[in-house]
Amino acid sequence: MTRARAVALGLAALTLGALASLAPAAPAVPMCAAAGAHHAAVVVEHGDGSVATRCVAFDASDVTGEQLLTQSGIAWSGQTFGGFGVAVCALDGEPARYLDCPGKDNYWAVFVSSGGGAWRLSNVGISSLTLRDGDAEGFRYVPAAGDPVAPASPAGVCPARVAATSGAASAVPPRVTASPGSLGSPSIEGSPSPDSTPSLSPSPSQTLARPSETPPTSTERIAVVAATATVAGPAGSDPSRTPPPSGPDTGLLAASVAGGGLAGLALLRLVVRRRRLR
Amino acid sequence: MSVPRVLSDRDDRSPALAPRAWLIWSIAAVTIALLTNNPVYRVLVALAAVNVLVAWLPPERNRKPLALGLAAAAILAALVNVLASHTGADVLFRLPVWVPLAGGPITLESLAYGGAMGMGLVAALLAVAPLSLVLEPHDVVDAMPNALERTGIAVATSMNLVSGIGRTFVSVRDAQQMRGWRPRGLRSWNEVLVPVVLTAIEDSVLLAEAMEARGFGAGRRTSYSMSSWTRWDAVVALSALAGALLFIGARVAGVAVDWYPYPTLALPPIQPLLVLGCLALALPAFRRD
Repeated sequence: MTRARAVALGLAALTLGALASLAPAAPAVPMCAAAGAHHAAVVVEHGDGSVATRCVAFDASDVTGEQLLTQSGIAWSGQTFGGFGVAVCALDGEPARYLDCPGKDNYWAVFVSSGGGAWRLSNVGISSLTLRDGDAEGFRYVPAAGDPVAPASPAGVCPARVAATSGAASAVPPRVTASPGSLGSPSIEGSPSPDSTPSLSPSPSQTLARPSETPPTSTERIAVVAATATVAGPAGSDPSRTPPPSGPDTGLLAASVAGGGLAGLALLRLVVRRRRLR
Repeated sequence: MSVPRVLSDRDDRSPALAPRAWLIWSIAAVTIALLTNNPVYRVLVALAAVNVLVAWLPPERNRKPLALGLAAAAILAALVNVLASHTGADVLFRLPVWVPLAGGPITLESLAYGGAMGMGLVAALLAVAPLSLVLEPHDVVDAMPNALERTGIAVATSMNLVSGIGRTFVSVRDAQQMRGWRPRGLRSWNEVLVPVVLTAIEDSVLLAEAMEARGFGAGRRTSYSMSSWTRWDAVVALSALAGALLFIGARVAGVAVDWYPYPTLALPPIQPLLVLGCLALALPAFRRD
C-alpha cells in the first residue's frame, strides 16, 4: 500500500469515526433496564396562566423534546423549519386555529431545565432538544413582542420516589401515541411496547398515587396522569422563571480559538506579504 | 505514457495545487457555507478562505472588485432582511407603517439574521474566488470531470461572451453619441441595442467557426501541460471533503447545525467537531509558504 493510499484511508476512517460520534445516542434499551427507568417533566403554561404538567417515563438514556411531548399525551401540532427542527404551532388546544407558525402575535416559547435547574430558553426546535433523566421541557404561550417569560417551575412534577418505584409500577405501562400533525386526542394502547424503540409512558407513580383499589383502565390511567392542572401564580414570584444568561460552552470556546487563530494568521500573512512587496 | 510537466506561469509558486484539488476544495467550502445558516461556521469558512486566498493570490491580481462585491452582498442581504422581517423581541426603532414592506418595527434579531445571511454569501463567494483569482480559465476546464468537459467549455465560453457584449455595448454607444445620438426614452435605445445584438451574434458565429477549426467536439480535449496529482493534493481534497461530510452527517443525524435568532437573540449552538470541519478548509494555506 502506498503512503498516499494510507493517508487517504486514514482520513476516510477519521471522517467515518467523526460522523459516528455526531450521531445521536442509540435508542436501544439495555437488556437489564426496566421500562420507565428515567423520567422527565413536561410543563405547559397557557396564555391565561393555566398550567398542565406531565411526568413522562422512558427507558432510553435520552429522548428528544419532540418524543417527550408526544408521549406526554398532550395534543400538539408543529412545523419543521430545516435545521432549526420542529416548532410548536399549537399545544393543548391553544391556539384553536392558526394561520401563521410561529404566530405573529403569540407563540409557544420552549424552555429546558437540566437536572432540576432553572429554565433556559431554547433556540432550537423541540426535535433538536435532547432530554435526560431529571430534565424538564417547558412551554409557555407568550406574546411575540418582549422577552419570553419561563413557565411554572417543574419542581415536584416528577417526584423523587418515581425512580425508586418505577420498576415495579411499570409492569403494564399505558403507551400513548399522538400524531404530531393532529390536534385531536392521542390514541392509547394498554399493552407495553414490544419493540426496541424508546418506550415512553406517562409516569407510573401517578397511577400508584391513585386512591382506587381496583386497577384502572388505560383510559383512566391517562386521565390520572393528565389531571395535574393548576393555575399559575404571578410570573415574577418564582426566581426560576427568568431565563438565566447561557454561558460560553466548549463549542463556543473552540470556535473562538479557531476564529481568532485564523484571523490572526490572515493578518500576519497580509503584513508579511506587504513587507515583501516593498 | 507519461507526459513531462511543462512549466506554466503558475509553477513559479511551487508547490502548486492541482486544479481538481482546488475544485473539490471550493465545492466543499460552498457546501458547508450553504448547508448551515449558523454564522459561526460561516465566519470560520470565510476566514479559512481568506487565509487560502492571501497565501495563493498572485500579487498582480486586483483584490478590490472582490472586496467590493463581498461588502455589497453582505450589506444588501442584511438590509433586505432587516427591512422585510419585523419579528423579534428587541425593537431598535420603528419605521412608519405607511412605508411599503419596510414599515414596522426594526428588530435586533432580524438584523442578526440578515447578518448571518450576508455572511453566508461572503463565505460562498470567498470559497469560489480561487477558481477565478488563482486558477487560469483552462485550469478550471481541466478540473471538470470528463463527462462535464464540453459543458464546462460551453459555460466558460458563454461567460467570456458576457464581457465581450459589455465591451461592444460601450463602443457602439460611444460611436452613436459621436453621430449625435442622445438617450431619449426607451425607444431611442433601439439604435444602440440592435447593433450590439447583431455584433454578439456575429462574434458567436466567428467563435464557433474558430473552435470547429481547432477540432472542438472531434475528441477528448488535449492539454499542452499535464497537471500532476500529488499527495498534498489528495490530503487537501480529502480533508475538505471530510469537513463537508461532517456537516452533511450532522444534518442527517439531526444535530442542530442551524441558528434561529427569533424571538430572542441567543448564542448559536456550536459543535466542536464541526469547528474542526471548518478548520480543515484552511489546510491549503499552510503549504504555500
